[in-house]
Amino acid sequence: MIKWQINYRLRLMLWGILFISPTICFFIIFKYGPMLWAMWLSFTAYDMVSTPKFIGLYNYSSIFQDPTFIQSLENTLLYIVVAPAAITVVSLGLAMAINTKVRGARIFMSSMFLTNILPILACCLIWRFLFHPHGLVNQLLNPLGFGRIDWLTNQYTAMPAIIIVTVWRFAPYFMLVFLAGLLAIPNEIYEAAAIDGSTGTSRFWYITLPLIAPIMFFIIVVSSLLCARIFLFPYIITGGGPGGATRVLSLLIYETGFFYMKMGRAAAVSVVLFVIVMVLTIIQMRAFAKTEEH
Amino acid sequence: MRKSKKMDKSSVFEDKKVTRRSFLRGIGALGLGVAASPMMGKLASAAVPKGPLKLTYWDSENPQMTPWRKKRLAMYLEKHKNITVDFQSFPFTDVGKKVSVGFATGTAPDGFTTIDFFIPSFTSRGLIAPLDVQQLGYSSLKAFSDDHPAAFVAGAMKDGKLYAYPQWWYGFLNYINTKQFKEVGLDPVRDQPQTWEQLGEVAKKLTIKQGDKFIRQGFKFAMHAAAWTVIQFNPILIQCGGAWFDKNGKCSINSEAGVRAMTIRASIIRQYAAEDPADTVATHPLPMMDWLRERCSMFYSHPIPPAAIRSQNPIMEAEGYYMPVQSPGVDPNKRYASCYGVISVISATASRDKQEVLHDLLRFMYSDVIDAWGATKPFLPARKSGWADHPDVKNFPHLQELIKSRDNGVLLPRSVVYAEMTDIMHRAVQKVVLTNANIKATLDTAAEEIDRATEDFYKK
Repeated sequence: MIKWQINYRLRLMLWGILFISPTICFFIIFKYGPMLWAMWLSFTAYDMVSTPKFIGLYNYSSIFQDPTFIQSLENTLLYIVVAPAAITVVSLGLAMAINTKVRGARIFMSSMFLTNILPILACCLIWRFLFHPHGLVNQLLNPLGFGRIDWLTNQYTAMPAIIIVTVWRFAPYFMLVFLAGLLAIPNEIYEAAAIDGSTGTSRFWYITLPLIAPIMFFIIVVSSLLCARIFLFPYIITGGGPGGATRVLSLLIYETGFFYMKMGRAAAVSVVLFVIVMVLTIIQMRAFAKTEEH
Repeated sequence: MRKSKKMDKSSVFEDKKVTRRSFLRGIGALGLGVAASPMMGKLASAAVPKGPLKLTYWDSENPQMTPWRKKRLAMYLEKHKNITVDFQSFPFTDVGKKVSVGFATGTAPDGFTTIDFFIPSFTSRGLIAPLDVQQLGYSSLKAFSDDHPAAFVAGAMKDGKLYAYPQWWYGFLNYINTKQFKEVGLDPVRDQPQTWEQLGEVAKKLTIKQGDKFIRQGFKFAMHAAAWTVIQFNPILIQCGGAWFDKNGKCSINSEAGVRAMTIRASIIRQYAAEDPADTVATHPLPMMDWLRERCSMFYSHPIPPAAIRSQNPIMEAEGYYMPVQSPGVDPNKRYASCYGVISVISATASRDKQEVLHDLLRFMYSDVIDAWGATKPFLPARKSGWADHPDVKNFPHLQELIKSRDNGVLLPRSVVYAEMTDIMHRAVQKVVLTNANIKATLDTAAEEIDRATEDFYKK
């Protein structure tokens, strides 16, 4: 009897392994394998043509002495911190505006979501024209007393311009996620709070925000990961310029690997980016766990 | 009538008897023919294998050159039924990447089109094969060299061997809008800028501003791509007596001459206020868009096809109020620009048979220079002989100016890290002209970065 039970469990386990093996194989071949390969490459000099040559930690020591890498790292960190925060605030604001259920809110929501389904290349090209020194953005700012702003060719405004495009692109998507969370909050809670004499602001701080905290955490994590890998916006809109002011690590990896044929060095930069993303995620998870406990 | 003439001609040959004198005369004529043939590209085909052979060739897409290449390839394949060529064309920036991946994975094409300044990147890795000039239709390397611009030959040789076959080769010119010149009382021929100072002064006269907005910029340097940045900076550096690298291979753009060159480069903005680098509608396919739309009066460019002008400004093309002139110089007697060209190379991995067929294919493809010119003008054929005096060619507007810029042009820097170097220089120029950075400090940083990139390359 016992023997049969063990066999049954073993069989069950084997069936389980069999069922998940295609997924495991897929991940090993297309995800973890290449990741390990990239990590190994980061210790080599490899130009895609010759055999990789082991050079120890040279790539790492070299990139940390390279001002281009340092500048790209700073740009990436700035972008990862500011863009997700802006996306979260804007998408929450939009969701709350739509949740007021005023007339036309649904149409407004649908039109906002269009920013997400437009081809990214077209969006970038349109924004290039909008940010032209005599483009629409400056035309709109002019009556407010702003002078000419060279959005894409000034080292101080180029990154904010990229962040504006990022928020414009992704906030409507996350707005839907927030909206789902807001709609899930029972109305009775707000009604009870209103009877107790709470104001709109206090309802937001003490009811809405705590109840949508898991969603907010999800959005912060997902948008941070999205921003860490951002590539097309700086690539198309500014090409990483002016003077490297919008060159982020993903762009540097692409250039180093595929333009300069320095795959080992590009792999080292990738590993650094991977570590940044991991650290960021762990910090956010811990912070969220503490908030939940609280 | 025609038939009878033919008959007469054949009858003459039939009646002729072969004497010792006529035989010797025939040998002499044959010798002269062989000697002249390299110039005409009419040598007999190299030994082409009789068995079936499949080749791969990757081309860099160009709206004029690619269709013409396909046409010539079809003609070649018609003559050689046993040969098939998998001919694929890709955008210029993709060809390099695809070729690299191809070499990495063992799927590199047997031959491909590239630009001459990438030759060191390929030769330093042993990726391309040396060419046999005799199989290309030339009696010797000297005959080949005499028939091509000196700058190309200098850049395509390594250890006495030739590594590339050039098809088109051209220099940069200063394209001026003659109507706008006349509007401000300038004579396009007499007042064309001969020095960079004159360029600044003329550009200043041509500039129209309304507040902080340029209605018309006097002159524009391209800012859209790193490759153009280097092409435009290169002649100024050389005219100032500078060089990209010193005798020891160290980057020397931060030298006194380099600083002077960058000062000239930035002077159109800083000193003459005749250019707004942030205000441009240039695109990668049409970097000269501002000039075509008459938003700037002068633009420094490779030869601009009339079709490109027509597509954006049909009136300008129809009325012909434009003129390419030689680049300004530091010295008015030494006016030259960068020159470069479209080349074909053969992969070192291609088998001997394939290499021979590719030689034969390239020789055939570019043997009809007049046809090439007809399809791709104003991009100049790299070959010097056999076309410029042809009636279909010689009346092309400004042809001599185009040829002069090609033949007097200076080579772009040769570096094993060319792509990285151009990006570094592009950043440096952006810092200087867009953010008003200190020229010497910026060039010091750029030189350090270029040296580091080169050092990294040799680490492998």
